[in-house]
Amino acid sequence: MQLRRIEGDLWEIPREGRMRVPGRVYSAGPPAPDDPALQQVANVAHLPGILRFSLAMPDIHWGYGFPIGGVAAMDVERGAVSPGGVGYDINCGVRVLTTALEEEDVRARLHAVTAQLFRDVPTGVGASRAIPTLSDRELDEVLEGGARWAVRRGFAAASDDAERCEEGGRLAGADASAVSARARARGADQLGTLGSGNHFLEVDRVAEVYDPQAAEAFGLVPGRVALQIHSGSRGLGYQVCDEFVAEIARRRPEFGPDYADLPDPQLAAAPIGSALGQRYLGAMQAAANFAWANRQVMTGLAVRALLHVLRISERDLGARVLYDVCHNVAKLEEHDIEGARRRVLVHRKGATRCFGPGDARVPEPYRGVGQPVLIPGDMGRYSYVLAGTERAMRDTFGSSCHGAGRLLSRGEALRRGRGRSIAAELAARGIEVISRGKKTLAEEMSDAYKDVAQVVAVMDAAGISRLVARLEPMGVIKG
Amino acid sequence: MRLASPQPYEDLGHTADVGVRVRGATAEEALARLVLAFAALATGGREVAVEREERVAVAGGPELAGTAVALLRELLYRLATEALVPAACEIVRADADGVEARVAFGRRDPELHAEGADLKAVTWHAARLEREGAGWVAQAVFDI
Repeated sequence: MQLRRIEGDLWEIPREGRMRVPGRVYSAGPPAPDDPALQQVANVAHLPGILRFSLAMPDIHWGYGFPIGGVAAMDVERGAVSPGGVGYDINCGVRVLTTALEEEDVRARLHAVTAQLFRDVPTGVGASRAIPTLSDRELDEVLEGGARWAVRRGFAAASDDAERCEEGGRLAGADASAVSARARARGADQLGTLGSGNHFLEVDRVAEVYDPQAAEAFGLVPGRVALQIHSGSRGLGYQVCDEFVAEIARRRPEFGPDYADLPDPQLAAAPIGSALGQRYLGAMQAAANFAWANRQVMTGLAVRALLHVLRISERDLGARVLYDVCHNVAKLEEHDIEGARRRVLVHRKGATRCFGPGDARVPEPYRGVGQPVLIPGDMGRYSYVLAGTERAMRDTFGSSCHGAGRLLSRGEALRRGRGRSIAAELAARGIEVISRGKKTLAEEMSDAYKDVAQVVAVMDAAGISRLVARLEPMGVIKG
Repeated sequence: MRLASPQPYEDLGHTADVGVRVRGATAEEALARLVLAFAALATGGREVAVEREERVAVAGGPELAGTAVALLRELLYRLATEALVPAACEIVRADADGVEARVAFGRRDPELHAEGADLKAVTWHAARLEREGAGWVAQAVFDI
């Protein structure tokens, strides 16, 4: 594959064949031409109604259909919606909570804190029953209400948690009736559970601040303790995606040759305005709301765990949601495109919204500095908080990277981890890790990931999102 | 042909997810091995004690690869909701319209199978069930 440099760390895959637009990839150094993820960027450019570019962020890696780190905006009138451009874990995302705790308050009781979080937030394969299994009616309320449902039920750090989430923690347009009985069966007892793989709950310290003004607006103070929660819509979201990919794949010849001849069956897409496209969007939005409720319930459980183990008051803990972002979602948004304000459906598959300063869609406390952009790294190094920029609004439909991006397959990570105790290696560096399975630790070790510092540096240098602060892990729980 | 775990499979080395490839003399044999590779991922390769045997029939397509995906999707749903894991499998019929299998199921044990992968979904990306040389090859990529 031939690539040409546009500027700095931005590379272009020229349009060829049936590609409707070129591909654009942010990458530190020239992307490897044989990387299968680049072919996926080109494949996405075949989707009907795609505008300007098929984009990839610097944490790009091989996914299915879309690459992980892929962004595509579709014209609402003439464009396609592709469940593969959202992914199975609908609204997998991350939130950061700030606290009033100093590092030393927690360091002295780190094992007890981590163990309590591990006890109180169910983790691992098939984890369930963090809260009583939901009735069908309660599940409808979750699917429509998102994070707000959980706040109303008392799972909260502060009363304004939901307002500090992307979209207020709830996507309008969710259609609970479009979520099948099978999806409900997979999700009804999983609300408030972490899951496994790359999902985690982390106790961090604010290690460094790069932008004092933005850090102050975000409530990030060096030496203070923060929490990070990375999880998604659990089995309910997986099943929603699974069923719609199958149905759209089966019915795509109905939508004409543009839809029948896509280069990867996982790209299966339907016109946004079709009944099937609208039903998928309703179900996907409902699953996104389930994910927000899931992270919100875990927020409540984590706050209660900290209050219990540290024997302090809510006031002393001073926990509040800094922000909560989606990684896997398609959202109806308005953007300025070639001089006109247009309504588009932005697919972000392993990418983060990063709206700039002054945008009314950014919560008021952050509007002066831009949307918080939360970028988890790996459990042994660090994570970053950045801020959205005006340039992102011009160049990437207000999108940034979402994490470090995997370097190694899980099998290769296991081979490299053989004979090592990852938990002991981390403990030697002052990081307490508790995991349901040892294999997860090997699969998720730092060596398996790119250095997230290099990934966020690309976004910072390109002016897409600017560095605000670095978080470093103290305690980690994994599935 | 009834095949029981363990059966050989190759790891595709997918960066984000897990892909497996198996081979067989017939499409049925390859597909049965793919089912058991799925079970091996779910259990971390540990043994599964058979509890019951069932006939599993699902509609399939497009093409044989779509049929393989359809069978795995059905088995994954049973794993997610009932903790059922295939321990042995015989493919009675597999074509572009669907598949009929006899599957001996055991249960996922949270302790014994703690190293198993949390399989979210069976993707359509790079799915195969087709002739290759004198035999058949089947592969699937699972989202984890």
